[in-house]
Amino acid sequence: MDRRNFLKIAAVSSAAAALDGCGKPENHLIRFIPEEELIPGVAQRKPGVCTQCPAGCGIQVRVMEGEAEVTRHGQVGLLSMGLAKKLEGNPDHPVNRGKLCAWGQAGLQVTYHPDRIRFPLRRSGPRGSGEYQEISWDEAIKDLSSHLSSLKSPGKASPVAFLTKPLHDHCGVLIEQFLAALGAPPAVKFEFFEQTVLRRANELSFGHHQLPTFDLANSNYVMSFGADFLGTWNSPVSQNLGYGTMRQGRPGLRGKFVQVEARMSQTGANADEWINAKPGTEGLLALGLAHVILSEKLRPAEAAGEAGARIEDWSKGLPDYAPEAVSKLTGVEASRIQRLAREMAAHAPAVAIIGGASLAQTNGLANALAANALNALLGSVEKPGGVFFTPQPPIPGLAARKEGASVRELCGGILAKSTPVEALLIYNANPVFASPSEWRVREALEKVPFIASFGSFVDETSILSDLILPDHSYLESWVDNIPESGTTQAVASLAPPAMNPLHHTRAMPDVLLDVAHQLGGDVGKALPWKTYGDMLQAAFDPLRSHPGSTSAKTADDFWSEVQDKGGWWSAGITKSPAMRAANPSIAPVKVSAPQFDGAAQEYPFNFLPYASQQFLDGSLAHLPWLQEMPDVVSTAMWGTWIEINPQTAERLGIQQGDLVEVASQHGKLQAPALLSPGIAPEVIAMPVGQGHEHYGRYASERGANPIKILAAQVEPQTGALAWSATRVKVKPTGQKGKLILLGGGLRESPREFHHR
Amino acid sequence: MKRQWGMVIDLDRCTGCEACVAACHAENNIATVGDDQAAKGRTMHWIRVERYWEGEFPDVRLRYQPVFCQQCADAPCESVCPVYATYHNPEGLNAQVYNRCVGTRYCGNACPYNVRFFNFFNPVWDKPLNLQFNPDVSVRSVGIMEKCTFCIQRIKTAEIKALAEKRELKDGEFNPACVQSCPANAMVFGDLDDPQSEVARLAQSNRATKLLEGVGTEPNVICLRSVS
Amino acid sequence: MPVPSVEQLNEDILRPLVRTSWRYYLAVGILGSIVLAAVAAFLHQVYSGIGVSGLNEPVFWGFYITNFVFWIGISHAGTLISAILRLTHAEWRRPVTRCAEAITVFALMIGAAFPIIHLGRPYLFFWLLPYPSERGIWPNFHSPLIWDAFAITTYLTGSTIFLYLPTIPDFALLRDKAKGWRRRLYRPLSLGWTGTPRQWHRLEMAMRIMAVVILPVAVSVHTIVSWDFAMPPVPMWHSTAFGPYFVAGAIFSGIAALIIAMAFLRKAFHLEEYLTPFHFDKLGKLLLLMSLIWAYFIVAERLTIWYGNDSPEMAVYWSSSQGRFTHLFWFMVFCNLLVPFSILSIKRFRTITGTVIASTTVVIGMWIERFLIIVPSLERKYLPYTWGSYRPSWVEITITAGTFAAMALLYMLFSKFVPIISIWEMKLGMRQEANSPQPIPVETRLPQIVAETNFPASGS
Ligand SMILES: Nc1nc2c(c(=O)[nH]1)N[C@H]1C(S)=C(S)[C@@H](COP(=O)(O)OP(=O)(O)OC[C@H]3O[C@@H](n4cnc5c(=O)[nH]c(N)nc54)[C@H](O)[C@@H]3O)O[C@H]1N2
Ligand SMILES: Nc1nc2c(c(=O)[nH]1)N[C@H]1C(S)=C(S)[C@@H](COP(=O)(O)OP(=O)(O)OC[C@H]3O[C@@H](n4cnc5c(=O)[nH]c(N)nc54)[C@H](O)[C@@H]3O)O[C@H]1N2
Ligand code: SF4
Ligand code: SF4
Ligand code: SF4
Ligand code: SF4
Ligand code: SF4
Ligand SMILES: [Mo]
Repeated sequence: MDRRNFLKIAAVSSAAAALDGCGKPENHLIRFIPEEELIPGVAQRKPGVCTQCPAGCGIQVRVMEGEAEVTRHGQVGLLSMGLAKKLEGNPDHPVNRGKLCAWGQAGLQVTYHPDRIRFPLRRSGPRGSGEYQEISWDEAIKDLSSHLSSLKSPGKASPVAFLTKPLHDHCGVLIEQFLAALGAPPAVKFEFFEQTVLRRANELSFGHHQLPTFDLANSNYVMSFGADFLGTWNSPVSQNLGYGTMRQGRPGLRGKFVQVEARMSQTGANADEWINAKPGTEGLLALGLAHVILSEKLRPAEAAGEAGARIEDWSKGLPDYAPEAVSKLTGVEASRIQRLAREMAAHAPAVAIIGGASLAQTNGLANALAANALNALLGSVEKPGGVFFTPQPPIPGLAARKEGASVRELCGGILAKSTPVEALLIYNANPVFASPSEWRVREALEKVPFIASFGSFVDETSILSDLILPDHSYLESWVDNIPESGTTQAVASLAPPAMNPLHHTRAMPDVLLDVAHQLGGDVGKALPWKTYGDMLQAAFDPLRSHPGSTSAKTADDFWSEVQDKGGWWSAGITKSPAMRAANPSIAPVKVSAPQFDGAAQEYPFNFLPYASQQFLDGSLAHLPWLQEMPDVVSTAMWGTWIEINPQTAERLGIQQGDLVEVASQHGKLQAPALLSPGIAPEVIAMPVGQGHEHYGRYASERGANPIKILAAQVEPQTGALAWSATRVKVKPTGQKGKLILLGGGLRESPREFHHR
Repeated sequence: MKRQWGMVIDLDRCTGCEACVAACHAENNIATVGDDQAAKGRTMHWIRVERYWEGEFPDVRLRYQPVFCQQCADAPCESVCPVYATYHNPEGLNAQVYNRCVGTRYCGNACPYNVRFFNFFNPVWDKPLNLQFNPDVSVRSVGIMEKCTFCIQRIKTAEIKALAEKRELKDGEFNPACVQSCPANAMVFGDLDDPQSEVARLAQSNRATKLLEGVGTEPNVICLRSVS
Repeated sequence: MPVPSVEQLNEDILRPLVRTSWRYYLAVGILGSIVLAAVAAFLHQVYSGIGVSGLNEPVFWGFYITNFVFWIGISHAGTLISAILRLTHAEWRRPVTRCAEAITVFALMIGAAFPIIHLGRPYLFFWLLPYPSERGIWPNFHSPLIWDAFAITTYLTGSTIFLYLPTIPDFALLRDKAKGWRRRLYRPLSLGWTGTPRQWHRLEMAMRIMAVVILPVAVSVHTIVSWDFAMPPVPMWHSTAFGPYFVAGAIFSGIAALIIAMAFLRKAFHLEEYLTPFHFDKLGKLLLLMSLIWAYFIVAERLTIWYGNDSPEMAVYWSSSQGRFTHLFWFMVFCNLLVPFSILSIKRFRTITGTVIASTTVVIGMWIERFLIIVPSLERKYLPYTWGSYRPSWVEITITAGTFAAMALLYMLFSKFVPIISIWEMKLGMRQEANSPQPIPVETRLPQIVAETNFPASGS
């Protein structure tokens, strides 16, 4: 007799008299407990596109009827409307196959955020004060149009700048067409964790100016050089899907995974073998592996083709990269380099992934080219289990996407008075927060006479604007997306609004179209569509003639079917277009050690800011679900922290939770110390994302922003910020910081608790 | 039909991405408590991804272990509850009747997995965050216990639908929110009593273990893990 | 023991009921304010939520349950000791029983409040009781908390009767002596007692039955309280020894409380002639015995856990031996073993002062013991990721202080309305003594069957 029954019998026999039970008395006891009686609500699932990160997963929005307090025509009232209740993955979408990451899940809170801007605003106080006054949409659009028309002078470039995040949709196309019609330069795209280096490297090695896609599901050996591909990098959901299959999806076959990095990331924690290499030496290590493969004749040098040719001395067998030499620079034992190289060559298909901090170095491009060459040597390019490039859907307008200046160049130009900017439009970019102080972005923007923002939130950049034209959330508007990576099918995601707007907002592309029509002339003609939806319909229609996810014949059928499915994707796996002739303008590179800002004696630590599992680059820090979701490695919530190796901490007299000061040559900050066994003793790491001055009630005045103390070091070939190339010094402040951990910082393994 | 709902978590697949954590919050109207309460240890993560460090740098390892209610067949939380607010339902779930809970927190002590969460204060939802509420899930108030329900609202919805369509439930027809979201497909949900189900098949794996099995709670959550 | 005259006895024992000094009012005022502060703190907690306490995940129980166990333990002073002494006819019990029984009732009332104070929704406490609700919902009889509810209500009822029965003749005496409102107060309380042989006989029968019945009830109450902990699989709670361990601890702390109460009454009400060093010496020896038994349990518990080396239990074990509770643990050993042992094992020190010092440390030590049983286990339960820590808030501290004040206050109020020493039992003892051929030294008084003696008429 087990405990439960014993207790029941003991209890029942003593209670039986009182209960006057019949039949089995224990049933009698709990007969009175209701099953949670439930009448499920009626839910509709509407397609959508996740815009929380650049990956572009397809979503389904669960919409149910509810009552919302909304403002309509200046009046607040209760309205019964369809409300988004939950975001789920679109099971048919080729990128995420029904899955969603934590950011995607938390996207619901963007729409319902209490600090969303609810109506158009005009600045009423001094710049940056955050004092605004409500205006009507007519006024707002008229205001913007009159500003832009006053700046038009025929024959001269329009002094209008447009600042956005990199857009993989037709908003981006619309913006470029708008700017072109205005006679203004292409939009300036900004994101902190920019992928310029990797795109450039892929162009040089493989002829694709694009982020890579990995067929992890079929890999037998994966070596990642600093790429947090299961957490924050590239297309996390699709990479998780492939990873899961690689590990346990194939009976009897479990791929090996090796991670090379100086601080154990969420991804690194999953590795069978975790290798600490000195920051910025990942390319050296890759060539060390290639050297072994070449010298032991495990693969022929020619196998690497164009990608090999990008590396100096490749055809000579990389004489400078013998394991012993590489070992000195990387800190990885020579014997280990040999073993890894042999394993990789033996376990085809094997693939190398490079990303993150490895590329944010002064030698970033060389590192990327080295990893690309290794992949090519292993025969993993566009082969099952290897690296692919997502084919782009045959939508003619997409080719019109242009490269613009960088924020650094824009601000440099404004400050040097060499770039005339009379009006600046900002959409979904926050460079004031996410750029090194050295760039003086705020100072530059303050010099622009007129700034308009389409933001939904007041953040560090949009608070400088004179006019705010708040956008709908991505559940309230037409959304589309052309994924750059994450699938081997060509994909064009699309969704109509999943719910009516909650507030008095308006979709950015529709506002641009309205402004264009008010401006009239060339601009009006260049943008003939009445709404963004019309533009999308026109853009998507050419897909009808290609084999893909819909078989509809008429334009109307096609359009409605694409909306129902959440987009169009090509049938089966499509080959990406043949490689373009590689750009020959650069000589074969020599992969050497990186340069760091700050002398090693005074600034003894490499400073590693990393993309946060909670907030990516900080653009998601306003969502309370993510603030309270513990970072899985540190288990910290609602704050920021500085990761220090316990030995280093002991040497510096720092204990868990102590407030420490980190200083570079360019500034300093304070945050509580987190002693982590998974970080190299000479590295100090810190998540990016907190330290907002303005970003709603949940993010403002919380933690510190590591970006602000970075040196303005760049990768010289691409001009990309080398955000991992700063050295710092660290000292305790003698105070305690606010470190909120879910998991007590413990080291015990649960293993002994299994099978107790 | 008699059922025993259960879950398998493949620890070789789980990447610690915490999509399950966010999905559970979104599905089940779980409150965020804010930084001060979080600092006091009062967060409400019905599912959490525990992480354990092993070894010293550089030969250091980190392991993930998602933990949520194990829906124990012999649940110590149930026998101690004085008012039957937590009880075993006919489909083998440890169910929680929020209205009945008087807040002794005894069940929370009795649960070896620490997966029961108490509303120390009334949850706060800054308007209009409340519009997100899933109408199929009760919003809890101060003084009561809550925990992972295996998304019972989804189970019921699917069962009612199958009943209306006069058919049996199909394996994998629906999933709890965490399982549905899990990008690495580390979680599998289903009827352990149905030998044909994916979850029952995986539960037979030679990698199968149960968390704190020795305590005698007979969990219905099975962890798969390679011995390495 | 010098035998005082009947008049002297009446005068001495009834004096506190009629004469009240300013010191009494001051003390009542101070204690009352502390109690009011505690009530305010509790209302604040009900209004805001139990989050105003320091409780958290996973330390769901803290000061409140510590107080619960502590006060239920203290309650064992009275009824248990008094019943044992009555059943063994220990003559020296006569001046002690009333004040011991009163401790039981008050400590139980205070202890029983804590399961309600600590509820998340205290206004629903009655759901734990098996009342016939129209929804047909009964409590869960599997839950030790329900056993608690039964055990405590039974014990409270029983010990109230046990206190009340032997007070009836004294109420009658008061009724006859008093005038005005007092007379109106004592008339119903004395239940028409006139001291007929029939009434004496019935009282005697009832007392004998109650003394026998109350003993197992008292033992079961603390056993069941211990099962609140021992039943669920919590490391270092889940122990078969908890029943006797808790009962022993309860008696231990109960005796200590009794000694303190007696010394206080002796001083406050000038009862030096009735509560003599002899009594303190006897109780001191009992306290010493309980201290050794307590130490035996501690050693037995910790040695077996250490030897068994089961990792979840060891986590709790180390947290109290080498972790954050080390100081508290050794302070508890100091209070509960070192002090009582070094004072009470030496006859010279077993004075009133000596026993009171030992008792004070024992009361403190036993409160800490309860805390150390509850909190370290919850802080270190199985999965290390979930380990937490607990620190009480001002609300819990205020309420805790309030209960000590409430105990003192109840006692003081009680002593204003009820003779704190049983007058008739003292007289009976004196009569027996007078009737015996030669004076019987207190120590050697033989147990006698009270029923065979002549009953004194009330008030005479
Ligand atoms: N989550 C949750 N579920 C519950 C409960 C709970 O407390 N919480 N309570 C349970 C209980 S006790 C009950 S009784 C049930 C109630 O569940 P239902 O019986 O479903 O009750 P309602 O949703 O109130 O109403 C049902 C429908 O009747 C329509 N209606 C109103 N008047 C008329 C009429 O004159 N003619 C017709 N044809 N239709 C009409 C309403 O518009 C509504 O759509 O729910 C149970 N389910
Ligand atoms: N506005 C409005 N009014 C309605 C309805 C409606 O839809 N809207 N529906 C009507 C219908 S159909 C119904 S059935 C009634 C339902 O009305 P009620 O019968 O009042 O049902 P509940 O609101 O669920 O409240 C039941 C109470 O029981 C308590 N409870 C839970 N467990 C226990 C326990 O173990 N012991 C005790 N003693 N109490 C417990 C709960 O905390 C709660 O306070 O409401 C009716 N009134
Ligand atoms: S990876 Fe996550 S955030 Fe990015 S698009 Fe996909 S679901 Fe959204
Ligand atoms: S895991 Fe805890 S809460 Fe869930 S059934 Fe088991 S004991 Fe109860
Ligand atoms: S907290 Fe609620 S569910 Fe848990 S034992 Fe107490 S009454 Fe039952
Ligand atoms: S089964 Fe549902 S309630 Fe349980 S953890 Fe998963 S999402 Fe949360
Ligand atoms: S969602 Fe899946 S992979 Fe991610 S942490 Fe949860 S169980 Fe692990
Ligand atoms: Mo009802």
